[in-house]
Amino acid sequence: MPEISHSPDPKRFEVSRATLWFDRFMGWLIRFGGIGVIVAVFGIFYFVGKEVIPLFRSAQVEPAGGIIKAAAPAVLGVDEWGEMPFVYDGADKVLFADMKSGEAREELIPGLTGLGITAHSYDPVHQRVALGLDDGRVGSFLVNYERTFGDGSAPGMQTSITLEPWFTLEHGSGPVTAVSYGDSGAGRAIVAKRGSGADSTVSLLRLGMKRGLIGKGKLSLLEEADITAELDSEAMIVRASQNGEMALVAAQSGGIYYFLADSDGVSKRQTFAPFGDKPPRQMNFLFGGVSIIVTGPDGKQQQWSLFRKGGEGERLFGKTKEFPALAEGPVHFAASQRNRSFLTGSGRELSIRHSTSGSVRWEGAVDIDPVTAVLDAKGANFFVAAADGTTRRFAINDHHPEAGWRAFFSKVWYEGGDGPVYQWQSTGGSDDFEPKYSMVPLIFGSLKGTAYALLFSVPIALLSAVFSAAFLPLEIKRVVKPTMEIMSSLPSVVLGFLAGLWLAPILETRVPSVMMMVIFIPISALLLGYLWCRLPIGLRNRFASGSEWLIVLPFITLAGWLGWMLGPWIESWLFIYKDVASGKELADFRLWWPQAMGIPFEQRNSMVLGFMMGFAVIPVIFTIAEDSLSNVPKSLTAAAAALGANRWQVVWTVMLPVAASGIFSALMIGFGRAVGETMIMVMATGNTPITEWNLFSGMRTLSANIAVELPEAPVGSTHYRALFLGAVVLFAMTFVMNTIAELLRQRLRERNKLV
Amino acid sequence: MPAALPESRPDLIRVENFSFHYGEKQAIFDIDMAIPEHRVTALIGPSGCGKSTLLRNMNRMNDLIDGVRHEGDIRLNGISLYDPSVEVISLRKRVGMVFQKYNPFAKSIYENVVFSLRVAGRSNRSELDESVERALKSAALWDEVKDRLHDSAFGLSGGQQQRLCIARAIANQPEILLMDEPCAALDPLATLKIEELITKLKSQYTIVIVTHNMEQATRCSDRTAFLYMGRLIEYGATVQIFNRPSHPETEAYITGRFS
Repeated sequence: MPEISHSPDPKRFEVSRATLWFDRFMGWLIRFGGIGVIVAVFGIFYFVGKEVIPLFRSAQVEPAGGIIKAAAPAVLGVDEWGEMPFVYDGADKVLFADMKSGEAREELIPGLTGLGITAHSYDPVHQRVALGLDDGRVGSFLVNYERTFGDGSAPGMQTSITLEPWFTLEHGSGPVTAVSYGDSGAGRAIVAKRGSGADSTVSLLRLGMKRGLIGKGKLSLLEEADITAELDSEAMIVRASQNGEMALVAAQSGGIYYFLADSDGVSKRQTFAPFGDKPPRQMNFLFGGVSIIVTGPDGKQQQWSLFRKGGEGERLFGKTKEFPALAEGPVHFAASQRNRSFLTGSGRELSIRHSTSGSVRWEGAVDIDPVTAVLDAKGANFFVAAADGTTRRFAINDHHPEAGWRAFFSKVWYEGGDGPVYQWQSTGGSDDFEPKYSMVPLIFGSLKGTAYALLFSVPIALLSAVFSAAFLPLEIKRVVKPTMEIMSSLPSVVLGFLAGLWLAPILETRVPSVMMMVIFIPISALLLGYLWCRLPIGLRNRFASGSEWLIVLPFITLAGWLGWMLGPWIESWLFIYKDVASGKELADFRLWWPQAMGIPFEQRNSMVLGFMMGFAVIPVIFTIAEDSLSNVPKSLTAAAAALGANRWQVVWTVMLPVAASGIFSALMIGFGRAVGETMIMVMATGNTPITEWNLFSGMRTLSANIAVELPEAPVGSTHYRALFLGAVVLFAMTFVMNTIAELLRQRLRERNKLV
Repeated sequence: MPAALPESRPDLIRVENFSFHYGEKQAIFDIDMAIPEHRVTALIGPSGCGKSTLLRNMNRMNDLIDGVRHEGDIRLNGISLYDPSVEVISLRKRVGMVFQKYNPFAKSIYENVVFSLRVAGRSNRSELDESVERALKSAALWDEVKDRLHDSAFGLSGGQQQRLCIARAIANQPEILLMDEPCAALDPLATLKIEELITKLKSQYTIVIVTHNMEQATRCSDRTAFLYMGRLIEYGATVQIFNRPSHPETEAYITGRFS
């Protein structure tokens, strides 16, 4: 039996310690890098998801304690922060309840003692209680809250009550039975009903500040208009708008009368009947004062807004939305003072609804029978009071009432518009602005920008890739390819700058020239090709194969120059603008286009964008397509050439099918570059979020939108999150496109596989 | 080897004082030779001796390479290939070529065969069908593929693919068939089939074949040219070259002392 030797391996077979150590180190480093990449990607998903998901949550409501016991409430009001609601008893006492300490404090209004108060209403904008007396006087008192910051102690709340002047109604007789007070600071209006039944009268009072020489002016009556004659039956509900310029009166007959009370006086503008011959059960203005919510006898709730029909004429009320029906019984209503939400319901069933999207944010029941309800100005709490004086607070958790699938992706009828539209307008000039967060114009903008960029760059990039791969001699190709690669490294901010400040002003006046060039250059190239084929072979063979471009170039340049020069002549011949006012004729394409086509002409338009994006996209597509065409095995091209195929036939029958999957990848990467491009889009497109394919108007893309608006969107706001949603949409678009493209590419490659 | 000397045939291709350069490097030095029609002429020699270059000049395939130039001339039926009035596309229709590595297109067997007809602009269905059958029969492939003409050419074996390439080259009935080591990538059995095919095809075509395989040259060629370092060392009847080489280099090469 041979003996097995156990001697150690010879030294020369041993692996050095340094090699082992390095191998282990690199192994860990690579593992760390790989896991790090995965963690980073998921981290991005987590962050983006965290920003976007809250947009799609509905509102949460929970009881927030603080039960007050008071006398029967006539008016329930609250301060901006929802900390100290007040209950007015309908006579001369106001009960303030501190929600933090649970203490209640009653305050007497001396000026009201002994008066016969017969009507009251609450205006949450100014915390004003409007009052009507049995002797025909109307007036109001204001509940003022003031934050106090004591020395080191928790901030407290100081309250005071201001009684405003009384005005005696001249028209009608009997007690005031309904009153509503509107105040914009500059102008005020009171609408009041006097008496009841067929004899009742309705007056609209315009108030103004008579400016004194010193200090504040005195509030005085400008005009009292008796509007009873305009109504065909008894007034049921009277409402003055918050801006003090409008009054709405709902009559017994079902008609709602719209009166305008501006500096020209009081005039009836419109009568409309939302529920036929039945009067509404409820009618209130929404925040902003251009929309009302009305509830019909069957519980159906509708929104009516002021807008110009067809974009012309006077702004009149028209129905814009319908909400789910309410149950029977008196309707509770409280409008938010922050956005277009409102609290409504009947009986114990309450819901928070949002008028912009027409959605129900929350639905639920409270455990008392409310007779009145109010929302605080921040929209963080609502209060309900029962007939026995029990008042309860509920905390609302609804950070993004204006968001939701419908607001982002479907047509929405915004206030002031004459129909549902897709619109993006995230900020406006005033506090009562209604934000518009439709993603559709941005998705459209991204697709439009990409489409025009690819329309210009794909033919050029692919044809030049084919030319370079199959026709150009190697020496020239060695220059062309790196040049194209340098082109792709041009910073897009430079391209955008050039597009916006140099190219756009030039092309603005030269559209006919560009059109002529677009026609002339391909035609001259085709013509030249035809003539070249007609030349005798002896003459053609004098030129080395692949250097034909030396002949083509001057001709193309000449054709381009000719087109450029002929532009103004064509303009003066074809594009005559006729000025409507003076009847003068002017040869100007910029003016002719909107007149002839009815769509605008803008300096920063899709044409400029297409040209400049071409600079960014052409090199990308060219480089990859050229590589895949050049990598077609020489054996195949040689076989085709040996079988008598000419160069174009070699390209068409052999190179293109084999390189198809690579060319497809090139197009996809070009698409990705175009859809994600930001700086050129920001600087060259004008950034108007429109939805039209007009070549001579701009667009706003998802990426540009994020770049432009993110710096000014408050962190955590709906606007901020909507921008992140834009990013998610952009990602989803490219992801879907890339997945489809990859599947197609796999199939192409399978079909033209070279085994 | 007692083989009958072939009867003499008129020359179809004449290579006249032909030199060829790849950029700075000269590959062929002043070659003069005449190739008779309907004969198989073999070009032999060690690697890099210029035999493939010479072959590829006979249908101007070297035009596809950048930076080449030539001196002298190659005449086909007395007409210079480099005459300005010669259209290289029609030249290649007259001179078919089969490559070292079988290279069918990523198309069906049928489409591979009719490629030359299609690029020539012929699309008459019955004419195409006819030439497919004729070409595949000539290439001894018809019986093997007649039931799957529209399947991918990649489904065939290596030897079948090379015969398909031969069928493709002869589909448009060229006058000359250039073969650049057609059996280099094939096993012995497939090689045998190709050699039988070459012998069969010479009645219709003038064949020039480059080969590394001495036995192949003796088996299927009528005339043999030995090239060495870009020069034509010896050219004559195959029997004579292999039995009584007149140059020591030729003898050294065919006896396998260098390759």
